[in-house]
Amino acid sequence: MSLINQTSRSKASLKPSSRRAETSRVYAHPLPIIFPEPTYKFLGLSLTRPLNPHCTALFDPLTRSAWVSSSGDATLLWQRGFFGKGDLSRSEPSWLARQINARKMKGKALTSEEITAKRRAERKQFKLDRAKAIAAAAAEAETAFNEQGRVIAPGIAPDGTRIIPSAATWKPTSAPVPSEKSPLDVAPDEEEDMEPIQDLEHLQLSLQEAFFLVWALDCLTILHPRTLVHLVFTQNVSFTLAEIWNTFQNAHIPSLVPQPNAPSPLRFDNPFLVSYVAYHHYRSLGWVVKSGIKFCVDYLLYKRGPVFQHAEFAIVVIPVYEDPEDQANSPFKLQNAEPFTWSWLSTINRVNSQVQKTLVLSYITIPAESRVSPKVLSSPACFVHYSVREVVLRRFIPARMRD
Amino acid sequence: MQNHPSYPVLSQLLEKYPATGGALFQVYNDLTLAQKWIDVEVLDLPACKRAAIKGKRPTPDTDRVPSICIVVPCSLSESISASWLRAAFTSLDPLPSEIYVAITSEDTSTVYYKISQGIVKPPV
Repeated sequence: MSLINQTSRSKASLKPSSRRAETSRVYAHPLPIIFPEPTYKFLGLSLTRPLNPHCTALFDPLTRSAWVSSSGDATLLWQRGFFGKGDLSRSEPSWLARQINARKMKGKALTSEEITAKRRAERKQFKLDRAKAIAAAAAEAETAFNEQGRVIAPGIAPDGTRIIPSAATWKPTSAPVPSEKSPLDVAPDEEEDMEPIQDLEHLQLSLQEAFFLVWALDCLTILHPRTLVHLVFTQNVSFTLAEIWNTFQNAHIPSLVPQPNAPSPLRFDNPFLVSYVAYHHYRSLGWVVKSGIKFCVDYLLYKRGPVFQHAEFAIVVIPVYEDPEDQANSPFKLQNAEPFTWSWLSTINRVNSQVQKTLVLSYITIPAESRVSPKVLSSPACFVHYSVREVVLRRFIPARMRD
Repeated sequence: MQNHPSYPVLSQLLEKYPATGGALFQVYNDLTLAQKWIDVEVLDLPACKRAAIKGKRPTPDTDRVPSICIVVPCSLSESISASWLRAAFTSLDPLPSEIYVAITSEDTSTVYYKISQGIVKPPV
């Protein structure tokens, strides 16, 4: 639940069921466009128009992304479909809230980053305690053997209880110290003298998310970054769909300014196109698609969203060329286009099964230039020539998996 | 990006190395604004064709002196090699015992990997 929207009760006082209800209320809409209840129907067709928020974002060529600076648009895009990520936060932009929190020292309602930091500090303390207990028990076993010649089980006390703490039963012994060191002597009336913090965070949309919002949903406008013309900054001009189509394909070329001319040569294996095919495929099936860099994969699929449940599926995008000639002539070196090794596959599968995610290999077939003319690449209608096939992987252990 | 307060500090290196500019900008902001590193400065590593960031990492317990750490940003779409990592170590003076490689994704997720020279036992 976002800290940004101030609720009347703090998070800690909400029961799990009411927190779930609150989350379901805040994240009720799966897409930025809302289809209101039809007030008037004609021949069974609803005549009410869908509500379109018309958000705006700024294209940034260096980071190859679209920035949403307006906090209203950012909150809307996050709450309706989990689009984008705050560039200084774990998920939604919460940097300003964290700074204000740190200033006011009202640590009751914590943002998700602060909760994670607290949990990591406790886990670190647990590991130190455990290491000390192991060392002490080993030393005790050594002295017992040297002095009396008897061997004792190092981890067990004489009455049978465990000395080495386990993660399930360990409790933090001392309260965290750093909070006392912060300046608590800032009197409430002095807070107004401190200058307000400028919000330096924005919601960043990847090119795939931005193109989906522009083309598939038509609820986003992308603006050209400001250019200096005759020593005067021009008004932010918005891109046309054709310019966005070209600029996004050219984004892999490092540049400080957008490149809105059609790429030459036009190629089916442009990295933006291949990754967009996968993104669009899963989004259109209703999944919430987020980046999978933390788990060594390309995308993570969430059933409803990150705030509800952990992702169930981890997607690796594997481009497959219909014609090997195209791969040989390619100016791009697409990742995973070459045959992969068993060690790579085992590593990724192991990482994901440890976090209870199912690994899915998503094969994207890149059409052959000999069969389909590259001229179709002048518009998004070319996507009809790509195909997506999934292969689901699970580790099979015959000895252990009989029940 | 030009209106961001970090831009003046980084503008020269962003123009010199546009391919890694996005990663540098993102990692610099993460370290200075989100992680609150202190004494942050940007170094030029021509051998790796990018800039690196040096700074002091804040420690929760105050009896330990904050250590100087070097972070080398790179983006997920690049391919790096062992020789690239070796070049990163040798072009730094004084030679650090470890560096952090920050891998950035276009949605601003950043993962940090600690790279040491040789096999190093973890502290705990």
